[in-house]
Amino acid sequence: MWDIITYSLPQILSAGVKFTIPLALIAFAIGLALALVTALVRISHRGGVFVIVKGIFRFYVWLFRSTPLIVQLFIVYFGLPYLTIPGILENGVKFSPFIAGIITFSLNTGAYASETIRASISSVPNGQWEAASSIGMTRGQTLRRIVLPQAFRISVPPLANSFISLVKDTSLAASITIVEMFEVSQQIAAENYQPLIMYTLVALVYAIFCSILTVGQNYLEKRTNRHLNQTEGE
Amino acid sequence: MQLQGLNKTFGSNRVLQDITVELPEKATTVIVGPSGSGKSTLLRSLNLLERPESGLYQVADLNIDFSKKISSKQVLDVRKKTGMVFQDYNLFPHKTVLQNVIEGPVQVLKQDKNAATKEAYELLDKVGLKEKADFYPDQLSGGQAQRVAIARSLAMHPEYILLDEPTSALDPELEAEVLKVLADLANEKQSLIIVTHNLFFARQIASKIVFVEDGQIIFDGSSQEFFDQRQGNPRIHDFISSMSFTGIKEGTPQE
Repeated sequence: MWDIITYSLPQILSAGVKFTIPLALIAFAIGLALALVTALVRISHRGGVFVIVKGIFRFYVWLFRSTPLIVQLFIVYFGLPYLTIPGILENGVKFSPFIAGIITFSLNTGAYASETIRASISSVPNGQWEAASSIGMTRGQTLRRIVLPQAFRISVPPLANSFISLVKDTSLAASITIVEMFEVSQQIAAENYQPLIMYTLVALVYAIFCSILTVGQNYLEKRTNRHLNQTEGE
Repeated sequence: MQLQGLNKTFGSNRVLQDITVELPEKATTVIVGPSGSGKSTLLRSLNLLERPESGLYQVADLNIDFSKKISSKQVLDVRKKTGMVFQDYNLFPHKTVLQNVIEGPVQVLKQDKNAATKEAYELLDKVGLKEKADFYPDQLSGGQAQRVAIARSLAMHPEYILLDEPTSALDPELEAEVLKVLADLANEKQSLIIVTHNLFFARQIASKIVFVEDGQIIFDGSSQEFFDQRQGNPRIHDFISSMSFTGIKEGTPQE
């Protein structure tokens, strides 16, 4: 068994460094930015044409939360090349597997995280908005300097959850031919007929990755909570 | 500061009905009245946290017509002239006491940070909390938090400070330390408008009392007249006697 591990672990880890980690990190970064924009659009009080923009973002969130991630991956990678609009788009929309993965995971994470951020912003007491506007701060200043920092503290645990889910969900990228960790373990299992060892091994690697993220989450929670009295939350 | 014909409704409830009142500067006006009388709404309208549907509002050289659209420039101008202190302090919990005080001067008045910090220390000293400058609001008692909130509003150099039940969330001994700060401000001729339940304090500090009930001004006059009227005017009499039971608290400053 030791031989199997020394043979396959380096390959799994190499796939992790090449694909799993970049996919997760890039998609999470883009997803977070998208989530923040989406959340801000959706809580905006602006009217007029902006109502249509709000509708588009609401549709986006609904779409990505209501369909399976693997189906989304299939549509972006296998489906979009067949999207043609006569005269405008003749050859379909083709992405490399990695780019298709980044796009789908970003959009999916963005949809979920936008709800987290929106809820965190609404959970900051109204009194904070009032106090800030009573000293003449604009809505933008209030968001940036008063509300978002407090919302960030609240959103750390649920966003960490999303990140951890994303790391595990990158295993679905195997289905669009990305040779990430799960794909590598499947290939080796097909060679050596040791599915139990191979899949347990890759599961452990995912668990280690996610544990590192949990440590990061704990650190971030401590940091963002340092202004709170220790008695709070008991 | 003057209000003329202010009207405000929440749904079918007429919270403010044709309010006309003058709130003099360099004086302390106390607004009293039963719960739900509209006194807080009245006060919050002065800082434009509430927007009455109609009425005229004049503060210093600014004139606001509530029946017209109020520009963001007008809102900012009014807010620079009126500082607000809330019942539950509403300090920014992620900022230190010092950062709370300099936030407005630096971000809104665009003051130099060093100058704002220097002044913030003076204001904190004035409310007796200089040594708490680097504490977070969560590490303060309610009385301390409210005194920081007063310093925060003073830092903006408003012409009026509006206080919405500033001591209602406090224990009596903490209430006393906040009332002392307010009494000092009143002595310095800082214009104050205070909504309070504390009639003893009102009697001690108020140069003018406005009594609001059911969205209407029932009484508007000097503190002396108000307390003298308790025999003559049944509504004032009822209010004062209902308050006298709940209003007597240990440590409350009395005459």
